[in-house]
Amino acid sequence: MTSRLLLHSRVEEFVARLLRAAEVIAPRRTAGGDLLYGQISAPSEVSWGYGIPTEPLKRFFMPQRDPILLFSQNGKLRVSPVYEDKARIFLAARCCDVTGLGVLDVMFSGQYEDPYYLLRRRNSLVLAYSCQEPDDTCFCVCGDAGPFLKKGYDQQWTRLEEGMLIEIGSEKGRKLAEEHADLLVPAELEHIKRRHLLAKEAETKFGDFRAYVAAAMRKLSLEEVESGVWDELADRCVDCGGCAFVCPTCSCFTVTDRFDGEQGIRERHWDACNYSCYAREASGHNPRAHRKTRLHARFFHKLSHQWALRNTRHGCVCCGRCLSTCEAWAHMPAAAEAIRRGVVK
Amino acid sequence: MADIATTCPFCGCGCGLYLHVAEGRISGVAPSRCHPVSQGRLCLKGWHAHELMDNPARLTRPFLRKDGALAPVSWEEALSAAAAGLNAALRAGGPQAVGVLGSARAANEDNYALARFARATLKTPNLDCSHRTGSLPTSGDLAALEASDLVLLVGNDPNEEHPAVSARLYRGRLNGSRLVVIATRRHALARLADVFLQARPGGEAEVIRTLLRALLADQRSEALAALKASVAQASPETAGLSAADVEGAARLLAGAKQVALLYSSSLAALPAAATARTALADLAAVGERAGAKATLLELLPRNNLRGCLDMGVSPDRLPGYASLVDSVPDLARAWGADFCRVRGLSAWEMPGKVKALYVMGDDLTRAPAAPDLTSTFLIVQDIFLSPMAQQAQVVLPAAAFAERDGTYTNQERRVQRIRQAVTPPGEAWEDWKIVAELSARLGASMPYMTAENVFAEIATVVPMYRGVSYQTLERAGGASWPADMRGPFAWQRGLQPLPRNGSGPRSSAEFPFLLLADATLGPWDQETSIANTLTVAVEFTLIGRDYPTGMLYLHPEDAKQLGVRAGRNVQVRSARGEASLKVLVSDETPRGVVLVPHWQALRLGVMEIAAGSETERPVLAPTPVAIKSA
Repeated sequence: MTSRLLLHSRVEEFVARLLRAAEVIAPRRTAGGDLLYGQISAPSEVSWGYGIPTEPLKRFFMPQRDPILLFSQNGKLRVSPVYEDKARIFLAARCCDVTGLGVLDVMFSGQYEDPYYLLRRRNSLVLAYSCQEPDDTCFCVCGDAGPFLKKGYDQQWTRLEEGMLIEIGSEKGRKLAEEHADLLVPAELEHIKRRHLLAKEAETKFGDFRAYVAAAMRKLSLEEVESGVWDELADRCVDCGGCAFVCPTCSCFTVTDRFDGEQGIRERHWDACNYSCYAREASGHNPRAHRKTRLHARFFHKLSHQWALRNTRHGCVCCGRCLSTCEAWAHMPAAAEAIRRGVVK
Repeated sequence: MADIATTCPFCGCGCGLYLHVAEGRISGVAPSRCHPVSQGRLCLKGWHAHELMDNPARLTRPFLRKDGALAPVSWEEALSAAAAGLNAALRAGGPQAVGVLGSARAANEDNYALARFARATLKTPNLDCSHRTGSLPTSGDLAALEASDLVLLVGNDPNEEHPAVSARLYRGRLNGSRLVVIATRRHALARLADVFLQARPGGEAEVIRTLLRALLADQRSEALAALKASVAQASPETAGLSAADVEGAARLLAGAKQVALLYSSSLAALPAAATARTALADLAAVGERAGAKATLLELLPRNNLRGCLDMGVSPDRLPGYASLVDSVPDLARAWGADFCRVRGLSAWEMPGKVKALYVMGDDLTRAPAAPDLTSTFLIVQDIFLSPMAQQAQVVLPAAAFAERDGTYTNQERRVQRIRQAVTPPGEAWEDWKIVAELSARLGASMPYMTAENVFAEIATVVPMYRGVSYQTLERAGGASWPADMRGPFAWQRGLQPLPRNGSGPRSSAEFPFLLLADATLGPWDQETSIANTLTVAVEFTLIGRDYPTGMLYLHPEDAKQLGVRAGRNVQVRSARGEASLKVLVSDETPRGVVLVPHWQALRLGVMEIAAGSETERPVLAPTPVAIKSA
């Protein structure tokens, strides 16, 4: 499909039209200086810099706490599902986050179809924003998840000197471009060439963190990891669950019911494989009672060949968020290195 | 959808977080990377702080005890009953017959209004908080901790209660800083330490004395003579340590340019807390004399214990730690000149001595010796029906941290904002507002319309908060009150001779083991807020499900000698009582010492109860016991 160019002078009008059509989610700076994806109410609120927002897009498809069912029992049981049915446009979505959505799609449309996730996903339009200046903690070059995307987006925007180059990645993305054709001009070969040069240049700008996962994948898949690695990581880990919560591909949840005798609500909550209750069985038996077995299970899920086959890719999109949020310095780059070398630094 | 920046309401760290709000409810939490305390990290508790709100267990309306049971009533009826109860006690016994408890959980505004209510409205000196500790000598912060080339940790593992602190220790270590740990349990950080000095139960102060003796061995200075003489008898053998380890630790201390001394919250639960505190202050003073930069940081178990004390919730201090005889013209202007200036009863002395007790977010029922409150007119104000509230005559529903504006002051002296994200459930009110309404009913109205009004008064009355306002607190991390305003804190005096604490309890032929209550193991289990924060409660109480009668940490060699295996029950007997406990075999505990989680120890009836050395809070003392296979 042909790429288009949105001149900088027309970006504001384009975003204003998006705001009239749907709820728009974009990276914003908070008063405290943090970069968070959130709903914007004016084009000026979008932070067009680069840098990685603190959380991925996951919470817009699967909130940390999500009411999914209301029920009442007044003689007769009545059950009504709670769906969030509204159009959302994700603007300036980071490449790693868009890649992460691909993994969540596999999870929620595979063995069981999850109507709550899938409805939100169908209602979404994802406009990826290629990263020309990776954050200090980014290492997506290690994970085929950026800094520029080849697939998985509805549109991918790349900032050029004269405007945003818009690549079309889906039918939805094409339709959006057609609706606003009056604001766009066809991209020229020169623009495409420059986009590829920028992608190459971005790959040279990464910081100190890397996750060389090939050896870690082999050792995890073949159960060859030295057990001392798990002992040492377990001595540091504090079971906060933060790595799972900020991970674009982690999807574990638990379900709770609250019932006052007449009215009830069923909610879905994020869960984390770090928690000691996560795998505990009703009998009281806990196959992962020890932290080291939980860490082993976590990294097996992220990096093993077995899981890569199921998820269509390995489970790390190399966004670096666990690096920022880990209390214990037991994040993906540190763990991958420890697994690879057989010792914890 | 909005993201409201606020401060975590659990431990003393004061991590920064955002609450995601949509359609009037909180859908989740995000960490704040720009926050100077947490830098983008949160622990299990912070990640689930939103579960405190919109919780079916919340108190949503006032209750009054009628015919023995708590019945829902209007605010008017509840406040009138509370005022009548307080008035009756005042008429019967004067200001000494009423007592007020503040809260290490509630905001500064609430505690300040409460202190004013006690000393200026009721004119009673009986004002305290059950978590009050000794002198709180804090001169350091987390940045200093990470920048130090040596960290000395005394007590339990910050991993378990204050993960934001251990996060800094790990990062410091990656940059080459060294770690010395003094504790009885060989916990995870002890295993990571360069030198681990395993203290006998309650023997932390003795270990520091031994270290001081080694450090001062070559010192001839007159200024150090008294201290040196006071530790002359200390020796590695009596402290149960190897001489090489003590020398190793002393060498690290002597060679360090910047030392951070960390004092964990578990120590306050030991009888020898005051000596340990003085010993650490001495160590800091000796370090500074030798040219090192020494900072001291005490880890606090509650989000606003520091602020609660700053606000003067204490039987012997006024706001800003002014003594009862200090001239405090600003305070007199705000409160009226005739406010109460005598020393009052502590939280633990009040039950039985006061006829009416007004409790804002505190709970005396989880102490080793639960107080008898049956003949007390009890008014409890809380966000949940706590065990304390269940005994009350009047229960007043309060707003939780995300339902109101306010400030918390963390263990580093950092004053930070909490901000309203959602409305309180039902008829719940902000704590300070309830205090003000009750005060008005007792004839003394308070001039506050908002939490910010209360804070504005704090900023004129409390010296450390002067010049601070909600505007200056806007940025992430707020503002710290100056480290040089240490007020009455003990460590400023430094270099105090260290009396020996006595030899402490010893095992005997009849009772060959020492039983220690370990505050590290499940410390949050006793907390009403935690018990109602679903995910956190499930994680923290799991161990209680696996060990319903209590668990006992036993060294593998001791287990072998006794012929018991993990998971089996043993009978533990002391001079005081007997209990059956399930064994957990672990080399984290030294030989001859058995550990039981503090929260389980409270109800065993086996441990000796001692008076605390700093406040009158009763504590569980290390107890000689006999163990036999059940």
